[in-house]
Amino acid sequence: MDDLRVTSGMFFSLLGLILCGMGILAPGTRAPLTEANVNLYTGIAMLVFGGVMLWLARRRA
Amino acid sequence: MTLGYIDYLIMALYFVFVLGIGWKLKRKVSTSEDFLTSGRSVPVWITSLAFVATNLGAQEMIGMCASGAKYGMMTSHFYWVGAIPAMLFVGVFMMPFYYGSRARSVPEYLKLRFDEKTRTFNAVSFAVMTVFSSGISMYALGLLFELALGWSFTASVLVSAAIVLVYTYLGGLTSAIYNEVLQFFLIVLGSAPLAILAVNKAGGWEGMAARLPEVMTRSWKYSGSAAANPMGIEIFGLVMGLGFVLSFGYWCTNFLVVQRALAANSMLAARNTPLVAAFPKMFIPFIVIVPGIAAIALMEMGTGYSLPVKGDSFNYDLALTTLMAQFYPSGLLGVGLTALMASFMSGMAGNVTAFNTVWTYDIYQGHIRKGAPDAHYLWVGRMTTVVGVGLSIGAAYLATLYNNIMDLLQLVFGFVNAPLFATFLLGMFWKRSTGHGAFTGLLAGTGAAALTHGLTLAEGKGAWLANLHEFPSTMAQNFWIAIFAWTACFLVTILVSLLSRPKPVAELQNLVYGVTAIPREEGARWYERPRTLAIVIGIICILLNVWFW
Repeated sequence: MDDLRVTSGMFFSLLGLILCGMGILAPGTRAPLTEANVNLYTGIAMLVFGGVMLWLARRRA
Repeated sequence: MTLGYIDYLIMALYFVFVLGIGWKLKRKVSTSEDFLTSGRSVPVWITSLAFVATNLGAQEMIGMCASGAKYGMMTSHFYWVGAIPAMLFVGVFMMPFYYGSRARSVPEYLKLRFDEKTRTFNAVSFAVMTVFSSGISMYALGLLFELALGWSFTASVLVSAAIVLVYTYLGGLTSAIYNEVLQFFLIVLGSAPLAILAVNKAGGWEGMAARLPEVMTRSWKYSGSAAANPMGIEIFGLVMGLGFVLSFGYWCTNFLVVQRALAANSMLAARNTPLVAAFPKMFIPFIVIVPGIAAIALMEMGTGYSLPVKGDSFNYDLALTTLMAQFYPSGLLGVGLTALMASFMSGMAGNVTAFNTVWTYDIYQGHIRKGAPDAHYLWVGRMTTVVGVGLSIGAAYLATLYNNIMDLLQLVFGFVNAPLFATFLLGMFWKRSTGHGAFTGLLAGTGAAALTHGLTLAEGKGAWLANLHEFPSTMAQNFWIAIFAWTACFLVTILVSLLSRPKPVAELQNLVYGVTAIPREEGARWYERPRTLAIVIGIICILLNVWFW
C-alpha cells in the first residue's frame, strides 16, 4: 500500500470487474437517455487503467 | 433517482480503500512534521495530482457544471485565465522561496520574511476561512444528496465527515494526499463518461453549437463588453480582476494548495508540482463545464431531459446530478455518485490538513505554547484534526440555519484575500519591503475591498454607504473589488516600507529574490525543467483559448 500505483491499480481493477460483471450479467440495463451498454464499456476502460497502474508498479519494483 | 445494491457495493469498496490507505500510512507517522508536512517525502506525480484534486471539491464540480449550464463556455475563463497562468507563476518564480525558506506553512513564510503580526493576521483569517469553507461544501453536499437521493442530510454529512476524519487522523497529510490522488482518478473516470454520453446525445460539439445561442459555446468572442454576455463582465475586469488579482491570490498564496507542493521530496519536485498539475487542470473544463452546456442543448432538443425549476429560473446546481440520473444506469451511477463524494472528500481533507498545520505551528506553537517537545505538537496536530472536523460540521449546520451569515462570511473572506498577492509579490521580489509595510498594506487592501463593496451596487448587493456606481453583475463587482484591494495594498505597502526600517539583508537569505541562490535546472532532464514545462503548458493553454474563441 506504500506504492500508490498498486493501491489505485487494485481499486480500479476491482471497480472494472464489478462494472464488467454488471454489463455481462445484465446487458439490458439502461438509463433513460443511454442506448449502449455503458457499464461494460466503462468497466473495460477501468480494467485497462487499473492494469496499466499495476504494470507500472511491477516494472518499477 | 434510486440506487441498487451494486451502487452501494461500489460506494462501500471506495470507503474500504480510502480508510485502508489511512490505516497503512499510520505507521509512517512518528513526528509532528510527518503528520503535518509529510516530512517532505512525496514524489512529484503524487503531489501534483493532489494539488489539482484538493481544489476539485464537490462545490467546484457542482458549481462549474451549473455555471456551464447558465453561462456556457465563458466559464472556461475560470481555468484558462483564472488558474493556469498563476499555476505557472507559482511553480517557476515563487516556489524557490517557499520551499527554499523551509517554512512549514505559508503564514510561517510571512513570519520569516516580515514579522509576527503579519503572520498572525494571515494565519487566523486562513484558519477561520478553511473551517467555514469545508462546512459550506459539506452543507452543499448534504443538501444535494437529500434532494437527489432522499438521503438524510445529517447522515450524509456525518458519514462523509467521519471517513475524512479517520483517514486524516491516522496518516496525516500523507494520507490526505495519497487519497486525493485516488479521488482524482475516480473523479475523472467517473465524470468523463457523462461528458461523452451527454455531448454525443446532443449531437456532438457541432450539434450543440448549432442548437444554442453562439454565446454559449464561445469563451472570448462576447467578453468585450458586459452587455454582450450573460456574465456581465468586460475584458479588463476579467483579465485583471480574475486572471491576475484573484487567481494569483489563490494559487500563489493559499496554503491549501501550496501545502501540497511543500510536501514534495525535492526543490525540483516542489517547483514542478503546480506545473505538472496544470496539465490535467487545463482539461477539467471538458468534464465539468461541457456537460452543463450539453444539458441546455438536450433541453432544446426535447429529449425529455429538463433542469428542475426553482422560482422563476432553473436550479442550475442540479445540472450534474440530474444528468447522471438520465445517463448513468445502475452500476455506473454508483461510480458517478462515488466520484462526487470523492470530490467532496478531497476538498474537505485539503481544508482539514491545511487548518491543522496552520493551527498547530502558526497559532499554537507561535502564541500558546512555544518550545514543547515534538511529541506534544504531534498530539496537538491529531487533536486539531478532530476539532477541525467538528467545527466544520458545526459550520455546515450553521449554514442550514442562517444562510445570510454564510453569505456575509464569504464576502468578508473575499475582502481579506483580495490584497494578499500584492504582499507576497513585494515580499518575494523587493527586498526593501518591511513588516510594517506588509501589515498596513494588508489592512489597507482589506479596507479598500470593503469600501468598494460599500460604494457600488450589483444585483441589489453592496452600496451600504452610498451608490456611486452600478455593476452589471456581482461577478463584475467582485473582480473590481479585487482590483481596488490589490492596488491599495500594493501602494500602501511600498509607501510604509519606504518610511520604516528594512530588515538586514543577512536575514533575508532564501526568502527574497536577489539574495537567494536560484535553483539551477541543468541537472534535470529537459522534460523536468520548470521553464520548459511552463512554456509547453502556456502554448497548449493559448491554443485552447484560440480554439474556443
